[in-house]
Amino acid sequence: MIKLRILGIDLGSRFVKVALMENGKIVEKFKVSTVKFYKEYCRYEKKLLVDFKRLGIDKFDVGVSTGYGRNNVDIENFKIINELKAHAYGAIYQTGLKNFILLDVGGQDVKVIRVEKGILTDLDLNDKCAASCGRFLENMAKILEVSLDELSSFYENPVELNSTCAVFSESELIGKIAEGVPFERLCAGVNFSLYNRLRPLLTKFKGRTLLLSGGVAKNKALLEYLKRDYDEVKVLDNPEYNGAFGCCFYAIKSKGGLK
Amino acid sequence: MKIGITTTVPIEVLYAAGYQVVDLNNIFISSKDYLRYIEIAERDGFPKSLCAWIKGIYGACIENNIKEVVGVIEGDCSNTKALVEVLKSKGIKIYPFSYPTKHTLDEVKKSIDDFINQFNVSKQEVERVRNKLNIGRKLAKEIDRLTVEFKATGFENHLYQISLSDFNGDVDGFINILKQKVEEIKNRKPKVKKLKLAYIGVPPMTGDLYDFVEGFDAQIIYNEVQREFAFPRFDMVKDIYEQYYYYTYPYSLQYRLEEIKKQLKERDIDGVIHYTQAFCYRAIDDIIIKSQLEVPVLNIEGDKLNCLDARTKIRIEAFLDMLKDLKGD
Repeated sequence: MIKLRILGIDLGSRFVKVALMENGKIVEKFKVSTVKFYKEYCRYEKKLLVDFKRLGIDKFDVGVSTGYGRNNVDIENFKIINELKAHAYGAIYQTGLKNFILLDVGGQDVKVIRVEKGILTDLDLNDKCAASCGRFLENMAKILEVSLDELSSFYENPVELNSTCAVFSESELIGKIAEGVPFERLCAGVNFSLYNRLRPLLTKFKGRTLLLSGGVAKNKALLEYLKRDYDEVKVLDNPEYNGAFGCCFYAIKSKGGLK
Repeated sequence: MKIGITTTVPIEVLYAAGYQVVDLNNIFISSKDYLRYIEIAERDGFPKSLCAWIKGIYGACIENNIKEVVGVIEGDCSNTKALVEVLKSKGIKIYPFSYPTKHTLDEVKKSIDDFINQFNVSKQEVERVRNKLNIGRKLAKEIDRLTVEFKATGFENHLYQISLSDFNGDVDGFINILKQKVEEIKNRKPKVKKLKLAYIGVPPMTGDLYDFVEGFDAQIIYNEVQREFAFPRFDMVKDIYEQYYYYTYPYSLQYRLEEIKKQLKERDIDGVIHYTQAFCYRAIDDIIIKSQLEVPVLNIEGDKLNCLDARTKIRIEAFLDMLKDLKGD
């Protein structure tokens, strides 16, 4: 076993996830809002200079980062890896599986990857539109004046919401409220429209087991809908931290320590 | 007189009969008009949802005024069977050839004897041609060896082995080209790459694959089917019957896999790219291939275009990236 302290940072659109691995085990993890992270813990001088002390990180031997946009994640002395790879490693670490399909739904990004024999063999990403992501759920929860957690618990009998655009969906939802559609059906409708937008991305990824990660993996309704398409849908133990864990695990793998 | 072929057949017989052999696949894929060949086939009624090779072969045959074609009616796909029927209906003379379903030396012998009889040539003459072609095969084998040493590129390996399906229609001329190429490659300094890749499956529509992977510190050093077209065991067989008996491509997947596994081991391969053609039944083979090979396998699919699409490029890049992690520094 390698006795290394590895710091993995996943810079997402809503949160920065930080994980610390020691002797191959995650010993610490926390998240900071992305805006706060850049404003309060970073300086920018050609590269990102992070104030780790302030962040509460003592010391570490290796740093690996991932996230959206190469410049945004270019932390000094850190190795950058692409997000898809980070998620592949994260899921291998969290499940021990070598063959799987992983759906990661974050604040703005959706990624689907296929891993076979521990190697990425297929992938797809959302582009042009982020109406199938966490930010959409947040906006809709605000309109319904409900917590994300409660919103995600309703999946039966969803009201139909057809807008392609997430902003138009808001007015469509308000229209349904005006029509007196029950609260439960409104919530379910929001969840179902998210699922409907994810489906085209998943058509190329048929299989028996689907792993779920990202903040939206906590959405119980989404899980219910996906169960219709896969024999088994597993939410990773730490869905939000999958990318950060993957960064840590990558450091071990690339050292050849845990082949 | 030209004769077209749709896949590798005992060309020894055809050259012995005085024909100039033209592999229609090679004409199709090396032409700048390749998309027009597909278009010709579609205009004549070939479905959109059909392998581009079949349509390309058809277009190449019609456009290049090929009047005689060897049709492989067993051991190749059922699409070829139907293609042969269409060509026949257009007045093209078809000489049938079969790779027997029952893979025994006896059956192969029967099939080749039948082929020899159709062209009315002697067995001696066929063997004489075979010995001559073996000069080219020896040179192709040398290029294959030089590829493992990273002196020849993946594309050169592909090109000079695949071309042996018809010797470019000019046996002497092509042997000379091969001789010069071997000399040139031999004197190169090896460009060693971190990842050793194997390419398996039908030859690609997307020839840029070879150069593309070389941009990621990787090289294809084994081309399965192309190597089979060059008959690498030519020096271990005693006659034409054995040569086509030990040829792997038209027989069972299991038989192909035995040779693939042997080569992966000998060449110390890190990862496999399994190419399949859109709408081809061979895509189903991928299930068995993945379950039987120990090294990671990436299945990519080509359709009409002769270059890799953006999505396939990203997939290859991600695959190679993780293979490199596995290999360590």
